[in-house]
Amino acid sequence: MTAVIETQNLSKWYRNVLGLSDVTLKIESGITGILGPNGAGKSTFLKLITGQIKPNIGNVTVKGEKIRNNYSLFSIIGFCPEQDSFYEEMTGWQFITSLLKLYFFSTFEIETKAQKALEIVELIKDKDRVIRSYSRGMRQRLKFAQAIAHEPEIFILDEPLNGLDPLGRRKIIRLIKTYKSEGKTIIVSSHVLPEIEAMTKKIILIHQGKIFAQGDIHYIRDLIEAHPHIISIKCSNPRELASRFIREDYVLKVHFGPTQDGLLVETNNRDKFFSLLPSLFVESNIQVEEITSPDDNLQAVFDYLIGK
Amino acid sequence: MKHKDNGGVTFFLNSTKNIFSVFFSLGKRAKKTKAFYLISFIPVVMALVIKFGQILSERSDIGGIYIFTNIIMAFYLQFLILILALFFGTSVCSEELEGKTLTYLTTRPISKSAIILGKYTSYTALAILMTAAGVVCSFLILNVNSLLDFSLYKILLRDLAVLSLGLICYTAFFTFIGTFLKRSIMFGLMFSFGWENVIQYFPGTTQRFAIVHYLKSLLPSTSGGRFSFLLFRLEPSSPGTAIAMLFLITGVFLAFACLLFSLKEYILED
Amino acid sequence: MTIKEKGYTHWDGEFKDGKFPWWPITRYGIKLTFKKKFFKFFFFMTLVPAVVYLVGIYISERLEDFSFMVRESTVFLQINPAYFKSYFTNEGLLFMIVIILVFAGAGLISDDLKYNSLQLYFSRPLKKKDYFIGKAAVIVFFLFIVTLIPGLVFIIMKIVFSGSFKFFASYPWLVLSVIAYSILVTAFFAFYSLFLSSIGKNRRYVAILIFGLYFFTDIIYEILYGIFKSPYFSLLSFKINLQQVGAFIFNQKTQYAVSWVYSLLIIIGICILSALVLKKKIRGVEIVK
Repeated sequence: MTAVIETQNLSKWYRNVLGLSDVTLKIESGITGILGPNGAGKSTFLKLITGQIKPNIGNVTVKGEKIRNNYSLFSIIGFCPEQDSFYEEMTGWQFITSLLKLYFFSTFEIETKAQKALEIVELIKDKDRVIRSYSRGMRQRLKFAQAIAHEPEIFILDEPLNGLDPLGRRKIIRLIKTYKSEGKTIIVSSHVLPEIEAMTKKIILIHQGKIFAQGDIHYIRDLIEAHPHIISIKCSNPRELASRFIREDYVLKVHFGPTQDGLLVETNNRDKFFSLLPSLFVESNIQVEEITSPDDNLQAVFDYLIGK
Repeated sequence: MKHKDNGGVTFFLNSTKNIFSVFFSLGKRAKKTKAFYLISFIPVVMALVIKFGQILSERSDIGGIYIFTNIIMAFYLQFLILILALFFGTSVCSEELEGKTLTYLTTRPISKSAIILGKYTSYTALAILMTAAGVVCSFLILNVNSLLDFSLYKILLRDLAVLSLGLICYTAFFTFIGTFLKRSIMFGLMFSFGWENVIQYFPGTTQRFAIVHYLKSLLPSTSGGRFSFLLFRLEPSSPGTAIAMLFLITGVFLAFACLLFSLKEYILED
Repeated sequence: MTIKEKGYTHWDGEFKDGKFPWWPITRYGIKLTFKKKFFKFFFFMTLVPAVVYLVGIYISERLEDFSFMVRESTVFLQINPAYFKSYFTNEGLLFMIVIILVFAGAGLISDDLKYNSLQLYFSRPLKKKDYFIGKAAVIVFFLFIVTLIPGLVFIIMKIVFSGSFKFFASYPWLVLSVIAYSILVTAFFAFYSLFLSSIGKNRRYVAILIFGLYFFTDIIYEILYGIFKSPYFSLLSFKINLQQVGAFIFNQKTQYAVSWVYSLLIIIGICILSALVLKKKIRGVEIVK
């Protein structure tokens, strides 16, 4: 398969702050997830591949053409920026139609496409309201609508699910998958692992401006599975609970905190552990105050990967 | 979607036209424009006050056209067009950066120069319309007794042309300043009410470094009188030179603005 | 439905107001202003007239040493209320004050409106009054540095240079005049800039309004006065109104044949109007129509 977007030794720094370092990769059609914690360099990468900022070193090509100041390429790119900013005094309809005007569509085409995009993101009823009266979720959907309205071939979506409710998320995820089935190229960034997991298996892990891993999500999952999960439980009788845990072969270690009001459990099978937990509480008549997973986040995944 | 042939002049002009139509309609109804509508209509109120004052006091020692040329024009030339050009000119680039909306424009299949020129023309047109509405109303009120004297309309047209040229030139200058400086307002205020106000009274070539010099060169020299201070120390350039210079200044600053906007990297701050 | 058991208890503690809950707003506002490019330079420039006037006071006490410089102009170096009035009401100082407002006042409320941060302020133990005082105190801080402080320093230095309290004894009310006029100018400009800052979310736009409106009133006055020659048109100018009241406060003749009371009423009127607009505009929740 030929690469749609290609970067070579892409590096960017803002004065003495490193934004992105030596990124060389090829992105093919289908969905590619860019995963990384906040400040990892995801947005910098997306801004570079859309030519909004220029790299200090390296270059970017989209469909074999340089992107920077090559505005003709934008007729096939739909970009959904991260920042929550709009022409606030426009209505949703005016916003979408105004931006569609810049693609030289006829008035009929503009109206049809705007109507379709707003219907997809379920904003058609609110299209005549000024944007500043929109809720966070509506604004996010409108931002998504402007990226898809001109029916591009390449979608570059910077945190498109931010601020959406679960239903909205599911809908957008489904939509993105539809675009994939149409043979389009979609690049989605997020710092939430399950979000990306729900969309694609192809991921790029970015951390501290560098690509940490690239490829199938199962590879990353396996890496995580190789490390035990830590679960903290605050409860009425931690020693009693501990005695029940050590019988299970997927529990590797149990620690007690200094305050004796809880315990830390290390397990290599998180799913099995959590499925058993409610019945254990009921059987032992233990009152639970709090259950947390101190390492169940993306930062922890990166910590494992970089061997912290 | 297929790539369109978008290298030609027609394409560039169409891009500019599209940007123009988007921002002209946006600018027309923007909240912040309303205050400027209000200010540009103050001379109309002033004209009404003057006219009623003259009627009530039964004084007619100063003619309507005299007041219009010397007073209303002074207000527009020395104050209003500067304020309008400063606001709209710096808005061309700064409002996109401040509102973080620049991305929506720079990720469309239009050149960055078309964005600058489209926004510039839309805002200049708005400013000219605002000014012209106030000027025409003031003119009609002050000359209500001699509306059939068609020679007066020549003066109105000339003054409107001078003000429009002023807006075209100043807005181009401030468009450049807006693309160049992050905090352009203080510089703009200093330029408008410092440099332009002072340098025009300097002798010889020095006064030619002020835009207002060329605008005033297009106005007829008044024969002394109460408001002759407007043309005080003016060593006018010929009308041809003045117009050529105004267009040259406009062209140069717009070209610089387009170039800078295309090359400069704008980081939207979080 | 009755709630038989509550899963929570009411907080029965006593809510204590902080002594100066507005102070963090002021401190932050001042800090932010000083961070602005070129502000330090401009602010330094606003102090230049004060230094010049101070030098004048020094020379007035050493006339024999500077006779080669001052010659016949000793009349300008008579330190009396007129000297103070000329410092406080001169156009240059008022112009500098407007420049300070462009830097320090334009973004005070407009930035909060732009970033929707009013609700963050009011989710803390902070009243509308505290918010307003906190913002106004930023302007008070800067304007007192160019009005009240130089005025008091002039009096003190006059006493120090002359080595006697004769000056103070001659004009015992002058301290009060300096305080009263500084408060008047500062209050007027604080209300003026906060009012304008509250009507827009764009700092650039507010800055132009602060600067433009001040000069606009002056131009209107000049035009109408030029035609009708009626001194009452001076009431249209912010600058002249301040100068008229200033002349009265420093016990000097007013420049225009209009009672200073009208000017004072106009200044108070603008402050009241601004306060009413601010009361309406500053609220924790934005209502979008």
